[in-house]
Amino acid sequence: MDTSDAYIIRPNHRHKFKPAVVRECIREIVRERLSAAKYDPKEVSEQSRSLADCVRDKVKCAGFDRYKLVVQVVIGEQRGQGVKMMSRCLWDADTDNYAEDVFFNFVLCGDCFWNLLLLRIRRYSIRDER
Amino acid sequence: MANMDDDLADETVFVVEDVRKVVKESIEVTIGDNAYQQNRVNQWTTNVVEQSLSQLSKLGKPFKYIVTCVIMQKTGAGVQSASACFWDNTTDGNCSVTWENKSMYCIVSVFGLAI
Repeated sequence: MDTSDAYIIRPNHRHKFKPAVVRECIREIVRERLSAAKYDPKEVSEQSRSLADCVRDKVKCAGFDRYKLVVQVVIGEQRGQGVKMMSRCLWDADTDNYAEDVFFNFVLCGDCFWNLLLLRIRRYSIRDER
Repeated sequence: MANMDDDLADETVFVVEDVRKVVKESIEVTIGDNAYQQNRVNQWTTNVVEQSLSQLSKLGKPFKYIVTCVIMQKTGAGVQSASACFWDNTTDGNCSVTWENKSMYCIVSVFGLAI
């Protein structure tokens, strides 16, 4: 066992959470899965869950050891309603951070009924201090 | 000695009921019976989130918190929220509160991660 690792309570800059890298991961997965998707109330539950799992697993492999992860996915159908999403965090600003991506999908249906998918993914990392 | 251990164990567990109470109160106080207004929704989301966070930090537990709030006007559209987490199941937790009045929905999610 590497005992020197047990006393490190802050990541060095190489192991810190990098929002840009994670944003790219998120963007890739979202575009691949949702570009041609339509909002379907029966499918959206499974879709959002699997998307969250997929993003979490991909980021786990991106090499941010000793970080806890929280991924949140919100998918909405747009019917001209107003929507506002906001978040705040109480964490250690030196080690913790987040990455987000917003995706709009425009699909014009035959009867001119517009469906838009609003997707916001938040991924937070909390340094697990042990 | 055993009692002290039990107390410490209670301190580091995410208690959903306490958090739900805090969040519901923040929403009632901020939005209450107001109708959805585009020019006020910014202020409402900020207030709900900031008030929830400050009440949560007053609970005095050794947790980091993430609070998100979505306010959506009622027009018959559907919305789905999902989350996936990589954390310690014994100490960390989340709480989701869905609240509505005649003209809007408010969904607040709180994630608590033990330090």
